[in-house]
Order: sequence, then structure tokens, then C-alpha cells
Amino acid sequence: MSDAKDVAVRQEAMVERKSQVQAMAPFVDIFENDDEILLFTDMPGVAKKDVIINIDNGKLTLRGLREITQHGAATWEEFGDVEYQRTFSVPQTIDVDKVNAELKEGVLRLHLPKSAAAKPRQISVKGA
Amino acid sequence: MWREWSEIDRMFRAMDLLNTRMNRLYSDTAGYRISGFPSGMTQAGPRTNLYDGGDHLLITAEVPGTAKEDLNIRLQGNYLEISGSRKPDNPEGYSRHRMERAVTSFSRSFTLPSEVDSSKVEASLKDGILTLTLPKIEAAKPKQITIN
Repeated sequence: MSDAKDVAVRQEAMVERKSQVQAMAPFVDIFENDDEILLFTDMPGVAKKDVIINIDNGKLTLRGLREITQHGAATWEEFGDVEYQRTFSVPQTIDVDKVNAELKEGVLRLHLPKSAAAKPRQISVKGA
Repeated sequence: MWREWSEIDRMFRAMDLLNTRMNRLYSDTAGYRISGFPSGMTQAGPRTNLYDGGDHLLITAEVPGTAKEDLNIRLQGNYLEISGSRKPDNPEGYSRHRMERAVTSFSRSFTLPSEVDSSKVEASLKDGILTLTLPKIEAAKPKQITIN
């Protein structure tokens, strides 16, 4: 008879819980010039501290959490708590260290500068 | 250079395909969707909430990217109209890959459920959310009734 115990005890109480907050993809505009890729996205009601921007292995993930405070009885409610999330593939030529973002009036502006090696270069032809 | 761009465009097409599949996977009732509006609803202006706080009404509206100066709020009796416009914020000298954010002017009007004191209405704009606090007139405020 073995008196060995399981190393990890399974907790039946810890059932998987579905997130109650609705996920939504925000609208984006994407622009590009020789120096950078520029991404604008609408995230109304999201505070600066609730925005998460993650670049990992060529994948850019934007997340923003909005919590609406209830002010009495709702006569109608067309928007509520939401988790904005959207993922993009970004070229490896983005200089991750120089990526910067600003949030103003509910619009997130993300600058993704290209690394120096990826910028277009004019090559002059030398005479023989 | 054009070759790089076509690669980016191809990438987006793949994303769109994935999105369509996602939308099919999760039907109308489930969580993830691309547009900011519930299915079957058309964009007729910013989305709003109306709360009744007893002695005041509170209206919030989603107006991302709209400056304070571009918003117009009019109140006549218990008829409220919120209108405004969003200026295009396209940067100069950039090529466009994707344009989903609408540059529009909008207008929404409501008939408020009770009379409000128009002189005491307060409006604020924060993080792209417009908040209007509309105190009710004295006659419309709820009264506590005691039982004899």
C-alpha cells in the first residue's frame, strides 16, 4: 500500500470563469511614411493607465479597458464596460525601443519608427 | 519600396479573412466583433447612456477625437440636442493603409424624461466621453411620502 500523496491537489472550486467584460475591436487608421508607421485608434473612456501596448515577436497587441461608473438607474445604456483589443502583425524592421504612444480625447496615437536599416536609401551611381 | 507595401497589404488581407472567420464563429450574440455597434444597429450618432439619479439626470456619450469647441449642446425645455463634428486627423505626407475611423458630423436628440433646470446644466469632456449633468426642476424631483 502506497501512502504517496499527489504533489498538486486539484481544487474543484477553481472552475474556469468566463470573462464578463465584452471584448471589442476598436476602429483603426494606419499610415506609413519613410520614417514610421502611424496607428490611430478610438478608445473612448479608456484612461491612460488602462492601456496596454505589447510588441512581441512581430505581433503588436493593443488592449484598453474601460469601466463605466453607474450613476443611478439607467433609463437606457448603449455602451458599458468593454475591453478593446486588437492584434496586428508588424514588420521586423520596427525599432521597438523607439515606439511611443499618446492618448488624447479617447484617441490613441501610436508611432512605430522604422529602424535605420529599413529606411529607403538613394544609391548614387559612380562614374567609371 | 512598392514591394514592401504590397506585403503589408497582403498581411491585412489575411487579417480580414481571419476576422470574417471569427465573426462567423462567434455569432451575433457572442462577444468579439469588429464594429463598434451591436449587429443590426446603424450608426446614427454617438452612443449614449442616460441615468436617472433621482434629483438629476446624467447623460454620457462616446465622442472620441472630438474637441470641446466642436461640440454643440442645445437644450430647449426637455428637448436636448447634441451635435458635433470630428476633424480629420490624417497626417501630411503619409500613405494610407487602413481607414476605419469615420470623419463625420453627427447629431443626436432626445426628449428627456423630466423637466430640467437649463441654467444649472454642467458638461464635461474626458477621455473622449462627454458627460452632461442635468438637475431636475423642483417640481420633477422625487418626494418622500410619509405614511400617517
